[in-house]
Amino acid sequence: MYVLHFAPDNASLVIRLVFEEAGLPYRTALVDSAARRADSDAYRAINPTGLIPALETPQGILFETGAILLWLADRHGFGPDEAEPARQTLLKWLFFVSNTVHADLRQLFYPLVYVPADAISGHYSLLSARLKRHFTLVDQAAAETPRIFAVGGVLAPYLACLMRWSVLYPEGQLPWFVLDDYPALAAMARTLEARPATQRLVHAEGLGPTPFTAPVHANAPQGGTAG
Amino acid sequence: MYILHHAADFASSVVHFALEEMDLRFSLSIKDLDGGDLDTPAYGALNPLRLIPALEGPDGPIFETAAILLFLSDRHGKLAPAPQDPDRGAFLSWLLFTSNTLHPATMFLFYPHRAAGEAASDAARQVAHAQIVTRLGLINEMIAEKRPRWLSPDEPGVLGYYLGILVRWLSILPPDPFKVTADRLPALHAVLAAHETRPAALRVAEIDKLGATPFTNPKG
Repeated sequence: MYVLHFAPDNASLVIRLVFEEAGLPYRTALVDSAARRADSDAYRAINPTGLIPALETPQGILFETGAILLWLADRHGFGPDEAEPARQTLLKWLFFVSNTVHADLRQLFYPLVYVPADAISGHYSLLSARLKRHFTLVDQAAAETPRIFAVGGVLAPYLACLMRWSVLYPEGQLPWFVLDDYPALAAMARTLEARPATQRLVHAEGLGPTPFTAPVHANAPQGGTAG
Repeated sequence: MYILHHAADFASSVVHFALEEMDLRFSLSIKDLDGGDLDTPAYGALNPLRLIPALEGPDGPIFETAAILLFLSDRHGKLAPAPQDPDRGAFLSWLLFTSNTLHPATMFLFYPHRAAGEAASDAARQVAHAQIVTRLGLINEMIAEKRPRWLSPDEPGVLGYYLGILVRWLSILPPDPFKVTADRLPALHAVLAAHETRPAALRVAEIDKLGATPFTNPKG
């Protein structure tokens, strides 16, 4: 049985979407934000990087969203396997999403970790311009190789969540992300949003009825939001 | 037969080490980064990100350093745990951590103005430096504690070469006092020292002009 260490509306949501869509049995363990601050040693024993998510498996603990996605895809046959020519399309875009899109979003959402308060607005302009270029490239790839980005694979839930958070965060800044600027990704998000698996998580994590096409801040029945 | 689109001592050198260590047939297509070689339509078709590395092979072009490493390892069954190996999950976790946490912080240290703007560059550089020291420390602790065979002094691995190049750059590129070496990270240092002295690594170091000890004592 898998145990997913999660916080509502956090990167763990990506993994939960995969579990729910595939109908895989798993259990959740809440990592609430107070515990992360007050007792980080307990969580760091599970994930030495201190980040969410972490996944307990019969073969040990995994962390890093992209690593968990790829491991699950190989274990349960969601994506092209290593013998298929499409494998490299999955890998190059999964790594780009993880180490460029997701990494830049992390900076955008938590600017004070990276720059002094008086530099935030410049930082926001530079990063949001970069991110628009990233999403444009991913959208072109999704139009050219739709199978890799289809619902049922691992890129769809990852991108849908990143686009959700791009609308919601950081609070107090002018919006920069417009879903319909990226038509292939918007179509994917609409399909994923309508899936029964997604709607189960809408309920479980308090995401609101349209978590990807018209996101609102989560109001989780359990544990509070973590962004 | 592979074609690696390459510039010496850029991220494509990591892939160069992997190709040589796997004993694969490949050729180098040397790119002049200042001369606009990545701005051509032909290169954009290979890699729309317009970065190196890109690797052409029987299945078409692939880009992103860590994606190429994983693709080559899986395809040829070398230098990393295979998909069904019990060590696969731990290996992937640390490969992704290196790719999406350590490597971006390294770029942020080298080019803080790209995200922070010129005025905040010094403050941003301090943040990146602190993050890198913490993250390399986590990797060192993991090696010391778990002794994984996929990041080991006893056998070569793609992650050893990836970290070798990152530590090389951290040792020579940042201004003082922001340089970072593996000198006080003994478990990581041992892995990098073992990798840089392998015959395949020595061949790459010579071609790419990286010097005799490119990871543990690079010459800037």
